[in-house]
Amino acid sequence: MNYSLNAYTQPLSGAEAAHLLRRATFGPTQTEITNFTGLSASTAIQNLINNINYIPTPPVDLNDTKTTVGQEYVNSAYDSVLARNFEFRYYYNHWWINMMAKQGGNPSIIDKMTLFWQNHFVTTEAAVDEYRAIYKYFMKVRSRSLENFKDFVRDITYDPAMLKYLNGNENTKGTGGAASNENYARELQELFVVGAKDFAGNSNYTENDVKAAARVLTGWQYTNFYTNTTTSVGNKFTLTRHDTAPKIFSANYGSVTINTPTSIPVGYNNVAEVEIDALLNMLFIHPETPKFICRKLYRFFVNPNVTQAIEDNVIVPLANIFKSVDAGTGRSFEIKPIIQKLLSSEHFYDVGNIGAIIKSPAEFIIGSHRFFNFPVPTIDSANLVNSIKNYRTYAQYIYDRMSEMQMILLDQPTVFGYDAYFQTGYSRNWINTSQVGLRNSFTDKLITGRTLVSGITPLVTIKIDMVAMVDKPTTATYNAADAANVVDLVTANLMATGLTTNQKMFLTDTIMLSLQPRTSWANQWATYKSAPTNTTNLNTVKSKLEGLMKYLLRMAEYSIC
Amino acid sequence: MKRRDFLAASSSFLLPVMVGGFGVKAFGANSPLVQSLMKTDALAKDRVLVIIYLNGGNDGLNTVIPLDQYSMYNTLRTNIAIPQTSVLPIGDGSTGLHPSMTGLKQLHANGKLAVVHSVSYPTPSYSHYRATDIWMTATDAAVQADTGWAGRYLEDRFANYPTPPITDRDATNAVMEDPLAIQIGYLTSTTLLGSNQSMAVAINDPQTYAALVGGGTGGLINDLPCCDAGDLVTFIRQQQALAVSYSTEITTAHNAGNITPTPVYPTGNSIADQLKIVARLVGGGLKTKVYFLSIGGFDTHSTQVQAGGGTNNNLGGHATLLGKLSAGIKAFQDDLQARGIEDKVAGFTFSEFGRRANSNSSAGTDHGVAAPMFVFGSSIKRQSVGRNPNIGGYSLLPTDLNGSVGNQDLKMQIDFRRIYWDILTDWFGRSKTDATSLFLNKTFDTVSLFTDEVCTIKTGSWHDEKTWSCGRVPFISENARICAGHTVTLSANASVKNLQNYGNLIMGTGVNLSVKGV
Repeated sequence: MNYSLNAYTQPLSGAEAAHLLRRATFGPTQTEITNFTGLSASTAIQNLINNINYIPTPPVDLNDTKTTVGQEYVNSAYDSVLARNFEFRYYYNHWWINMMAKQGGNPSIIDKMTLFWQNHFVTTEAAVDEYRAIYKYFMKVRSRSLENFKDFVRDITYDPAMLKYLNGNENTKGTGGAASNENYARELQELFVVGAKDFAGNSNYTENDVKAAARVLTGWQYTNFYTNTTTSVGNKFTLTRHDTAPKIFSANYGSVTINTPTSIPVGYNNVAEVEIDALLNMLFIHPETPKFICRKLYRFFVNPNVTQAIEDNVIVPLANIFKSVDAGTGRSFEIKPIIQKLLSSEHFYDVGNIGAIIKSPAEFIIGSHRFFNFPVPTIDSANLVNSIKNYRTYAQYIYDRMSEMQMILLDQPTVFGYDAYFQTGYSRNWINTSQVGLRNSFTDKLITGRTLVSGITPLVTIKIDMVAMVDKPTTATYNAADAANVVDLVTANLMATGLTTNQKMFLTDTIMLSLQPRTSWANQWATYKSAPTNTTNLNTVKSKLEGLMKYLLRMAEYSIC
Repeated sequence: MKRRDFLAASSSFLLPVMVGGFGVKAFGANSPLVQSLMKTDALAKDRVLVIIYLNGGNDGLNTVIPLDQYSMYNTLRTNIAIPQTSVLPIGDGSTGLHPSMTGLKQLHANGKLAVVHSVSYPTPSYSHYRATDIWMTATDAAVQADTGWAGRYLEDRFANYPTPPITDRDATNAVMEDPLAIQIGYLTSTTLLGSNQSMAVAINDPQTYAALVGGGTGGLINDLPCCDAGDLVTFIRQQQALAVSYSTEITTAHNAGNITPTPVYPTGNSIADQLKIVARLVGGGLKTKVYFLSIGGFDTHSTQVQAGGGTNNNLGGHATLLGKLSAGIKAFQDDLQARGIEDKVAGFTFSEFGRRANSNSSAGTDHGVAAPMFVFGSSIKRQSVGRNPNIGGYSLLPTDLNGSVGNQDLKMQIDFRRIYWDILTDWFGRSKTDATSLFLNKTFDTVSLFTDEVCTIKTGSWHDEKTWSCGRVPFISENARICAGHTVTLSANASVKNLQNYGNLIMGTGVNLSVKGV
């Protein structure tokens, strides 16, 4: 395997462009693959960054029985009489799924980065509940996802949703030199910054460090949750809730002692901010911090199977870049440069990393919608109610399928995130005997097709039109009457890995043609083309093509990316 | 105790053994003990284990309450303490259950529930993830393993999984067509991980399972891409094949397990829903050996009780969870009894850790160490292993509280792997050699959960709880055994039902051991 982080210099082939797009987005369309083919690896990832829209249109009220349907709500005053909190927070799912699927014609990496960091700094809709707190948290994660990691951690530490989710709100000076709630202090070290153990399995810090950090973090609370007339949530610090005794850390952190300053330095609002900065400085000096983050990014974007050789030759060099001062910003721990480095490297494009991840439900479901170019409903002010219905139904279906496949958006089962990103086996956790069934029934439905909302205009249909797909003009290399050509066409870029000649023969003769001679397909196609409105002729070719596609989407190869 | 060892021992010791002037009866082949042991092993191959994971770290001290040290208990956690009069006393009344667990109290009274006190392992982890992994892989805290303990057992017992024919070496290599293990839900647990894949299939609803997996793909061409992609494709294809091959067996059992009158289970209770499926599948003849269920929500850092104090402390999130667990297990046990398969099934609950002995100021509890486990089933022979943790009420015993004021953890009495050990040896009939290899070359002492007698696990004082497998001094109602090589010193009067002495018993002057006889 090529472990080099040097930029891959060959112009990207179609398969390589698709590989990048499968990893950096929720899956490409054929047009996007074409557009990225021939680019250099560096340009390709740069485009995925340049295409980011950092200021997306905010979510709107999706309840078409309300007069406020279609209106933005995240900045309006809280109103307990209306009792819309649950709906308002739930609509973020529709909003985000539509963004993932839409990509505005120019694919960007932002939604994949946001998913990574939301699954890293987990807070959940169900636990945080307050819709404005969730929005604030979500936008923070989204806007910081390619920026400075240390700023990111600081921001998350003060975040009202996080103060609720990991009980910072309840963390006050306790009795007997203890903090009263160490939930955030533990996860800050174990999950967010340092990691519990190094690659060899040694502990990165002690239990006492958790307790000491919890004491540094005492005194903060969220504000304005569910408070009428307020337009945003915030946080506050109460000195009497803060533990001002010295906090002594272990040798893992250089035996640092953090003291409460006697006065508030310039640039700070209170003594606790000074202590938290000292705590973060301490965490960021830990040698495992950059490796922990780089390893997690690597497992998410490149390959969950981190061998010793990958640790030594990829993770460690990448971590060294991460912790050194970036020439562009003059700061260390910049996220964008390491993402660019990793996703344009020779290593990323090594054949050993192609297809090395089992698609998450998001990649499987949204990726399928994108690959087959299904329409993504947009909200149309001229046709508000109907367009809202389509928009909502489209996303709700995806949300429900993802949920039954155990990827509930913005609602991880635990603070560790989705199992497949930390549990032994990593992405294999997405698959078991039930999951293969759920994946099959989802893809089968793409072929039988469904209407989003019946009886309205526009009527939006989600269905793979196989006949239209293969009914292309005859060229030197393509003839729809040639069954082998058809199989080549419909499998192009469909899977991360190529199919063998044997597999294609099997797909053509056994699956598509049910062991009839290939000439019979030529005849059936010609018959259909001579009278395209004849239903019998149409159904003859359609059933064969749909049988083929149904089989293809059930193949194990379609589940990897 | 192994049946073979026991029979060999009993046949060569037909002479009465004299201990301190009292006749200690050796058991004849017709004694209930020998009978039950013989029955035990003959059925081992058909036995079923149900594992219930309490996700999040269950607060043990509000689950099993040391009533004999109530004031200390109340001091440690005033804001969440269960009022003394609300606690449900069990056994001799020194221990009580949370008021929401009326079902478990009843099972305890019927001899179908054991409380194993203060379960943990050396150098415990406070991390949810790491601690869960330790419980599921059953390794030492410092050792990482990629396989689960039950997964290793199944992989060792059944050859060729997942490629048919899968054969059972406990049943003269008969072909096993049913899933080896089932997890109710959509994801599989580390506990059931074998060396290459999970040994379990995950099903959420047996009724829709067959329709869901449908015909699968079943391609004839098994060409593979290279590298990790090839491994993943192989893995997915195996899962596809398993899904299809097991769907018939599961549907058949689920249909066959439909009995009248319909077993009664509480509704709106996820653990009861899961147990209902298990009972129906076992009752329907599915030969699956291990079921893994879970219920979440035990990470009670704040407001684990309802606000207001007093009997409001009996209510709230933690009470709801314990109530569901208790009602679910009770209904399950009743269902098994009605189906006449009670003796085939044993189960236990576990959680990745217990919580601090002292509560925090937000009416919750932070990550701690030891907590009780429940073992349930009609085949268990102990009602308690270990004793109430010493939170200050037992002046003669070392304290079980560890740490400074405000950070007090409960120390371990019983290593969780001792319970697993009994399950593998006495329940599933593995030899000690096999069990040792399943624990990656470690052996553990029994806690005598499934045997009619408790035994010594080391040389020591009769009155020292650590001398005995059950983690406490034998009760007057129990058979005791002094194992070969152990010397036990009796320095005060004691009573047991029967004593088997294969080691040495040193009696203090004027001290009596009373043996009540069968």
